[in-house]
Amino acid sequence: MAKLLIVDDEVDVREFAANFFRKRKIEVTAVASGEEAVDLIEAQKPNLILLDIKMAGIDGVETLRRIRQKDKHIKVIMVTGRKPEEGGAFEDCRKLGISGYIHKPLELDELEKIVLKEISQK
Amino acid sequence: MKRKNKTNNIDYKKELESAAKSMILVHEPDTLIKMIVRNIVRKVKVAHAAILLQYKDSDNYIITVSRGRSGLKIPAGFARVDKDNPLIRFFSRRKYKVILDDGVLTCEEIKKLLKKNIKAGVKTLLKQLLYQMDIFEAVACIPSYFRDDLLGILLLGKKNDGRKFNREELDFLVALASDVSMAIRNAQLFKELEQELDKKRRLFIHTTIALAAAIEAKDRYTHGHTARVTNLSLEIARKLSQRNKKSLDKKFLDDLHVASLLHDIGKIGIPENILNKNGPLNDEEKKCMQQHPMVGVNILQHIKELENCILGVKYHHERYDGTGYPEGLKGKEIPLIASIISVADAFDAMTTDRPYRRCLNKLEAVREIRQVSGKQFDPEIAQVFIQIHKEGKI
Repeated sequence: MAKLLIVDDEVDVREFAANFFRKRKIEVTAVASGEEAVDLIEAQKPNLILLDIKMAGIDGVETLRRIRQKDKHIKVIMVTGRKPEEGGAFEDCRKLGISGYIHKPLELDELEKIVLKEISQK
Repeated sequence: MKRKNKTNNIDYKKELESAAKSMILVHEPDTLIKMIVRNIVRKVKVAHAAILLQYKDSDNYIITVSRGRSGLKIPAGFARVDKDNPLIRFFSRRKYKVILDDGVLTCEEIKKLLKKNIKAGVKTLLKQLLYQMDIFEAVACIPSYFRDDLLGILLLGKKNDGRKFNREELDFLVALASDVSMAIRNAQLFKELEQELDKKRRLFIHTTIALAAAIEAKDRYTHGHTARVTNLSLEIARKLSQRNKKSLDKKFLDDLHVASLLHDIGKIGIPENILNKNGPLNDEEKKCMQQHPMVGVNILQHIKELENCILGVKYHHERYDGTGYPEGLKGKEIPLIASIISVADAFDAMTTDRPYRRCLNKLEAVREIRQVSGKQFDPEIAQVFIQIHKEGKI
């Protein structure tokens, strides 16, 4: 079963997204902080990470940077509120290497499509 | 079995009436929608319910609220659908109304239709609709219109007992959805109206401040006086209402705000050589200076809306013992608005340098106010003022 790691500091988002993808036959782990995510990736080896940009503690960009220090190839999709000031963050993420970018409020069908597509391509 | 039926039987007419009542009472769109969705989940006993609501400034519809005990719960503001989403396309176009003759779209209905001999285009759309409903785990959708505008869509999950929605339930939900759209539009209009009013209020206050600045441009000794008196007056009023445990109403505070900004407006009519005289005024000059409250009244009298403010302008030099001007009012004859400005005005005058006298320090000024409490000032106001000073707010 494909493995998905969800990183978001909002509990409602974690619960919803975890349920949403479990129903789609994906093994889901959801964590509330970037630190937890960085600690987990070696043991878990997820096929894909859904990573929220705006989080308390270390933010998504910093989390991505630390993930990349450990693993250059793991697929990451950034999730964020669409604020213009995050234009810079988007550039940083692109340089670090991401598979995609999805902004909240998001379209559930698009979320499903992008995740299923990325997770199935090994 | 009989008993079970009875408990499941809801008086929908009564439910609609109570929903309508809460819609009248609640003017906050978000609160209103939350209440309604929560009620649906509870009364109709569905796994979950959500509302996709049109956002006025964009073409999007956003999940504004989603409730459910067992079903999916989408965080508010997390998911959107764009106007080209099949759900929105379907409900926006009235030509599909035939499919929607009873105002509800159910998965069951779609599956039935798909088995019939229908055009390929319609078939594709129906399949897309089925997929969208599946994503939201909805078995029924009820659109909500205001005139021809699709305001939102109510998405309903499965019923907890696993049964289909019956006619009575659907009729209730359709009626509720149409009431809801009306209520939401009302609430939105109400909010817009409040914002508009607020804008006007700000414009008015800023105009008043500009007018007050005209006095200060002429009277060079009173620089900043108006702003300080206004702040102090409002502080006194707030403290007064705390002490009396009944709050002075907002209208009074608004009036006091404007009155203290304009209390010296009549000085515009006083000759500059008197206003800016480098020394104490002689009797004749004093008499002229004492005209300023009445000059102020004359300037403002035609503005009907300022009726209460004018009392503050007119009587802010009255004294509690009846020896003030212009009318020699006594004690509680002096309107509260004027008694408050009077203390704030005197304190600021005492603590500001004049060319012919040095100012008092704050402590000396407070002592002076205590001493003439009951003579120059209303003792209640003086006491409140002293209290504010004790608390270090002056």
